[in-house]
Amino acid sequence: MKTKVLLVGGRSKAKSLAASLIKKGYQVTVINDTYEDCLKLAEIDKLTVINGDGTRPFVLEDASTGDADIAIALTSKDEDNLVICELCKKKFHVKKTVALLTDPKKTDFFYRMGIDSVVCAITAITGIIEQQAFVDKIATLVPIGEGRVSIAEVPIPGTAPAVGKKLWEINLPKQVIIGCILRGDTTMVPRGDTRILAGDMLVLISSGKQEMAAIKELTGR
Amino acid sequence: MELLMDKKADENYTIVIGCGRLGANLANTLSDEGGNVLIIDKNKDAFRKLSPSFGGLSVAGDATDLEVLQDAQIHKASVVVAVTNSDNANIMVAQIARELYQIKRVIARLYDPERECVYREFGIDTICPAILSAKEIDKILSETGLSEEGSQEEKK
Repeated sequence: MKTKVLLVGGRSKAKSLAASLIKKGYQVTVINDTYEDCLKLAEIDKLTVINGDGTRPFVLEDASTGDADIAIALTSKDEDNLVICELCKKKFHVKKTVALLTDPKKTDFFYRMGIDSVVCAITAITGIIEQQAFVDKIATLVPIGEGRVSIAEVPIPGTAPAVGKKLWEINLPKQVIIGCILRGDTTMVPRGDTRILAGDMLVLISSGKQEMAAIKELTGR
Repeated sequence: MELLMDKKADENYTIVIGCGRLGANLANTLSDEGGNVLIIDKNKDAFRKLSPSFGGLSVAGDATDLEVLQDAQIHKASVVVAVTNSDNANIMVAQIARELYQIKRVIARLYDPERECVYREFGIDTICPAILSAKEIDKILSETGLSEEGSQEEKK
């Protein structure tokens, strides 16, 4: 049986999320209170669109929220997203609820109210912008656990101070480990006596925002 | 003596959120009764609705912002009343007051009684104008109905 996902509110976010989820084989329903937005959303194949206020129980009932496995609240108002998730949880017993949040200070409060996953757009976006603006040496950086932990891919140029050194000779911050080394076509999980060579791609796992210090130590920049 | 009075005033500290007709009216009444009242509204023009004799404080700000609530010293309040024109904002503020600041009495106005299941388990009291009005109208109707019947009986 297909996993059923309910999206409430959010114009472009709902549209791109719905398209991507349908592509991955989920059954998606969206609720939107603006008629024009609903027309836009209805352009997507296989998407069920319901026009109404998702903070009202009868609208959620029309969207057969009781059958949904995941409910995602994407409106621009924090209070609406809270109420949507609480209704889904308490009245319709949806297993997993996800809320978008504007104000980062309310993240803990939302979790305390029983929402399973809280996504704070501001924290996420500022984090990504910071990484993009200041770390052009990192090929990719993936934040996990709300950005508390990140996985970074770091290419090692020939000029890097770490070239030719064994791992235990490098003074990495305590909260960083080198999880993997990609060398040509081979991948290896390094040990303390593994030597870093020019052209290696290191996969760093770091917590507490220590990745910048580690990258500086490895590449000298 | 002064200390005692201060303490007494603290015990009756009420925060009213939303300075609409209901919020302003309530704040005026509580203030006239000698209570310690603070009223919050997003729009400072809303405070015009307060009577000139209002002796409490008014704060212009968004009550869903935790900093605004902290500035209003919400932890000292004994009662928080959420009466903005948005049901969902009232729900959120009431839950913040109840869960984050452990306020004993939290009252919220709710236009749509269908959302009550969200409030109930948090111990938040709700006031629904539509239900109150319906009850009152029903009461008036049943009273006039009785008197009509009475007058008809008299004619007979």
